[in-house]
Amino acid sequence: MIPSSALRLRSEEEASRLPPLLARAEHLAGTVLLGDHGRRRAGLGDDFWQYRPAQHGDSRRMIDHRRSARGDAQFVREREWQIAQSVMMWVDQGASMRFSSAPDTIPTKADRARVLGLATAILLVRGGERVGLTGTALPPQRGNAQILRLADAFSQDSAVEYAPPEHRAMIPHARAFFVSDFLGDMTDVRLALTKAADRGVRGVLLQVLDPIEEDFPFSGRTIFESVGGSVVHETLKAGDLRGRYIERLARRRDELTQLCAATGWQMGHHHTSQSAQSALLWIYRALDGGTQ
Amino acid sequence: MTIIGGIGFTAPWLLVGLAALPVLWLILRAVPPAPIRRRFPGVVLLLGLSDDETVSDRTPWWLLLLRILAVAAIILGLAGPVFNPKRGEGGTGPLLIALDASWAGAGSWKAKMELLEEHLTDAGRAGRPVAVMSLTDPEVPVFQSAEVMRSRLPGLAPRPWQAGHAEIDRVEAALSNLAATETRWLSDGLDHPGRNRLISLFESLGPLQVYETGASVTALAPAEFKDGLIGVNAARSRAGVIQDTTVLAIGRDPAGVERVLSSVTLSFDTDATTASAELSLPSELRGRITRFEIQGTRSAGSVTLSDDSLKRREVALIAGREDREGLELLSPLHYLEQALEPTADLLRGGLFDILPANPDVIVLADVAILSQAETEALLDWVDAGGMLLRFAGPRLAASDISRDTEDPLMPVRLRAGGRSVGGAMSWGEPKALAPFAEGSPFFGLAVPQDVTVSAQVMAQPDPTLADRVAAALSDGTPLVTRKAIGRGQVVLFHVTANAEWSTLPLSGLFVEMLERLAVSSSAARPDAGDLEGTVWQPVQVLDGFGALVDAGNLPGVDGPALVSDPVGATLQPGVYMDGDRLLARNVIGPDTTIAPADWPSRIAVEGLETRSELPLAGLLLGLSLLLLLADVVASLALSGRLRAAQARGVATIALVGCLGFAIPAEAQTAPIAGEENVAVSATSEVVLAHVLTGDTQLDSTARAGLRGLSDVLFFRTSVEPNAPIGVDLERDELAFFPLLYWPITPSQPTPSADAYARLNTYLRSGGMILFDTRDANISGFGTASPNGRKLQELAAALDIPPLEPIPADHVVTRTFYLLQDFPGRHSGREVWVEAAPPDAEQIEGMPFRNLNDGVTPVVIGGNDWAAAWATDAQGRPSFPVGRGYAGERQREIAYRFGVNLIMYVLTGNYKSDQVHVPALLDRLGQ
Repeated sequence: MIPSSALRLRSEEEASRLPPLLARAEHLAGTVLLGDHGRRRAGLGDDFWQYRPAQHGDSRRMIDHRRSARGDAQFVREREWQIAQSVMMWVDQGASMRFSSAPDTIPTKADRARVLGLATAILLVRGGERVGLTGTALPPQRGNAQILRLADAFSQDSAVEYAPPEHRAMIPHARAFFVSDFLGDMTDVRLALTKAADRGVRGVLLQVLDPIEEDFPFSGRTIFESVGGSVVHETLKAGDLRGRYIERLARRRDELTQLCAATGWQMGHHHTSQSAQSALLWIYRALDGGTQ
Repeated sequence: MTIIGGIGFTAPWLLVGLAALPVLWLILRAVPPAPIRRRFPGVVLLLGLSDDETVSDRTPWWLLLLRILAVAAIILGLAGPVFNPKRGEGGTGPLLIALDASWAGAGSWKAKMELLEEHLTDAGRAGRPVAVMSLTDPEVPVFQSAEVMRSRLPGLAPRPWQAGHAEIDRVEAALSNLAATETRWLSDGLDHPGRNRLISLFESLGPLQVYETGASVTALAPAEFKDGLIGVNAARSRAGVIQDTTVLAIGRDPAGVERVLSSVTLSFDTDATTASAELSLPSELRGRITRFEIQGTRSAGSVTLSDDSLKRREVALIAGREDREGLELLSPLHYLEQALEPTADLLRGGLFDILPANPDVIVLADVAILSQAETEALLDWVDAGGMLLRFAGPRLAASDISRDTEDPLMPVRLRAGGRSVGGAMSWGEPKALAPFAEGSPFFGLAVPQDVTVSAQVMAQPDPTLADRVAAALSDGTPLVTRKAIGRGQVVLFHVTANAEWSTLPLSGLFVEMLERLAVSSSAARPDAGDLEGTVWQPVQVLDGFGALVDAGNLPGVDGPALVSDPVGATLQPGVYMDGDRLLARNVIGPDTTIAPADWPSRIAVEGLETRSELPLAGLLLGLSLLLLLADVVASLALSGRLRAAQARGVATIALVGCLGFAIPAEAQTAPIAGEENVAVSATSEVVLAHVLTGDTQLDSTARAGLRGLSDVLFFRTSVEPNAPIGVDLERDELAFFPLLYWPITPSQPTPSADAYARLNTYLRSGGMILFDTRDANISGFGTASPNGRKLQELAAALDIPPLEPIPADHVVTRTFYLLQDFPGRHSGREVWVEAAPPDAEQIEGMPFRNLNDGVTPVVIGGNDWAAAWATDAQGRPSFPVGRGYAGERQREIAYRFGVNLIMYVLTGNYKSDQVHVPALLDRLGQ
């Protein structure tokens, strides 16, 4: 049993981590001008769409008397059809994400992934969508409270070295947004995506990598170990491995791209050395495009 | 020390460590470089990738080589390598080091001493007793330890002669009792008589080794004077190269300073060992030359001293009787001219024309009567060292000169009439000369028998006569008498200077006598016979390096010995003097030849050069350190750690660099900038200033007050002052400031006269001082308060015009605000300004008088304005003024007064112009 004081301390710590993440995500989201998220046709919604002459079948209550009083015809005020999408997110909390080649200048992959995920969530919530996590922990909901809950969920590190994508409890025909470095086992990714495709869920994969993982600028006798320390590889001449490493990385990327193509997902790349804003724009467009 | 391949090692056994290097190579080669651990999430992609070749990742060969070299350098360095190691010459037993120590080796004396020291060091290492023997000054060698000998080295010096037979005899005597020794002979490279004797002497003792430079020795022969030219001759010991030698003629200039009077270049041809040149100099300059020397060498042999042989004496000839024209042989001066012409410069003319030329000798031939002035002038001249040579004659015999009392310019009294012997009218034979007595200047000259005297003037027998006789006739009557006067002398020949009275002028003796009297100097070098009977006293002697030193109490030298004996300890080269005559004895005589020493082939001859040891240990250890540093960099680069280290290192270096350079630069500029900055900031904008009183509290209040006023000006008017400045009246320039605020405190010092001068200049050139007694006194600035008294005291020296209380129509009442009260913290009414001119009258209908000219230089009040104006840095008033709202109103009026005052200072009487009348009337509501 955790002593209450320790629990409180941890909670405070967690809470203290939350506002900066939220603030950064809000700040990031504020840079994207939110376009109208309407369906461009009449339906249920708040915004005015058009006046149309009343037809048979329209109930009396639907007649807009202010408009109809100007003339003889009776008009019905139609609103734009606005429906909320459910977007399920999965942000890799695995240990492999907590890596930065230059801690002073480049954020960790996890940090970047969380900021991007939360900023996307903020944008989606502002657009009126429901946002949640895959799995059963946080089902999609709307409203600012959900963002706080998401931020809370993103702030929790996972001990797993390479976390597999969460693919349970996916709502059919919803949208999904997976952020990870996708360096772990491919079978989990394949399983998740095919399962999503089965349920008609489409979405976006964003692979976040550190620039050093792209370049592999190592040489000499080196022992590489994963962030959690569970995977170790020793080489006597790291420089010789560079070509083969890059080739493997490219192959992994191809595999992901093909998988996305097969399942109707979109695939994006992002380096932590790049601006988060461009990635956010791409994500927003990709998700928005998907909903069109 | 072990010597391997020309390099000595102090600890050679350490070199065995080099054998371990191959082992080290193998070990290093087998051990790959330490791995670096890296966090890398992409490691999963690496799994299963194997290295292509495992061998290649051993430490690369060049890094191995680097390390091996570093280790080898350490081993070599610790083994104590020495480049140019001194070889011990070996040998045991006593060591005799013989030095030629003659003038010929003076040039390379330093090298010899170094070599000698090296030999002493060697001997000291080997524990051999050493004796050092100077062959030019031999003593019985005493064998001592090298250290003791070393302490005696500074006492060794080259001598200005070479070892001659006398010295070699002493060497032989000194070596006779010696056991077998090894001998090292530091030769000067010149042959000298008896050298072979020395060789055999040394060889009889034991092994002999000779050291010499092999360089050519150049020596200067005595200069000769012939046909008006000075011949300069030099000789060298070895021919073979073309050599140009510059010979300097050195003497004293008229101011008595020794300097180079002339120089000539001698050229040795390739095969020639002698060279000569001729130097043409005016006789005046020639007479000043004291020595010649070869430029750039230090040796007694390269110096030749000059003596009388170069000098030509100036002899003035004055005859009493010049009326026998055409009868040259009867002229009283003819024989003198003939005798002196070759060796002296003759002067003719009146006595007073001649005396300023200061001749060495004045000859008066049969001159009897001298005027009083002439006598005195001559006496002065003789007294100063001149030589007056008089000849008798009919006039002298007929005159009464020196008859009863001795004439000051005559050596003896004369009897009337003289005498004549052996003539047609007299008995007796003409008299011959008696041999010259010892002590006579003519002692030693042979008397020819054919010299006869037939007439002469006779000396009175006086007590002093015997001392004054230099030559006498065979019957004992004086022929030549002389008398010293001061530093000079008077010599009287009791016969005529022509052949009338005697045959003396016809004989060679006459010339020799003149030479002895130093009337003339002989052109040819005197030989032993000429100098018979003379003793020469050394004046200055040469040391081995060719420097002239005072002879001290060296004994005199016999004349014949002076010219014929070889130079040595008893006859040192130098300048010798006998009476008035100077004779130089040089190291090199006119017929001295110099030849290189020729050593028998059985004797080993080595050069003088010493080789200094060069320890290499530090060099090698430093090299190994460099190699290890390179190894660090290379290892880092190989293991991929260089980049991070590099970035951090560069940052550190940059930081250190910035700190190192930035701080001094700032420190340097700060003090220089200070004063200029004040001037710049004082002149770039209007700046109010206050006088520093020395009272900190008061000064800060004044500063705060001016700051408050400056702020008010800034906000309300177009005057935008900079921060106010405190002014030290003694130091600071006042011209920058339109207004000086001068608070009065009884304790402040009175400015100096200089400061008052500048204050008056300031006031006259348009400045204004606001005096503030701060005591709310009725501003009578009288004696009512200490501040008032102080103000009187301070202002007494200032150029202040008549004052009056500010009249109601004064300009300052309307320059910006319309004011009639000028309160500060106090609200005294009266503030005093310069009085209006008496003719200013108010015109009917005008609100104020026309007071167009002049801005008052002072404003005097006691309202403590600065305290009313004072604000702190935030703009809040520092001091309370009055009570409540009325007090704030008073502060506001105080500010308005300040604004008006500054406007008044800056714009002068602008607002006094009548143009403003309508507007002012309007504002005044009239």
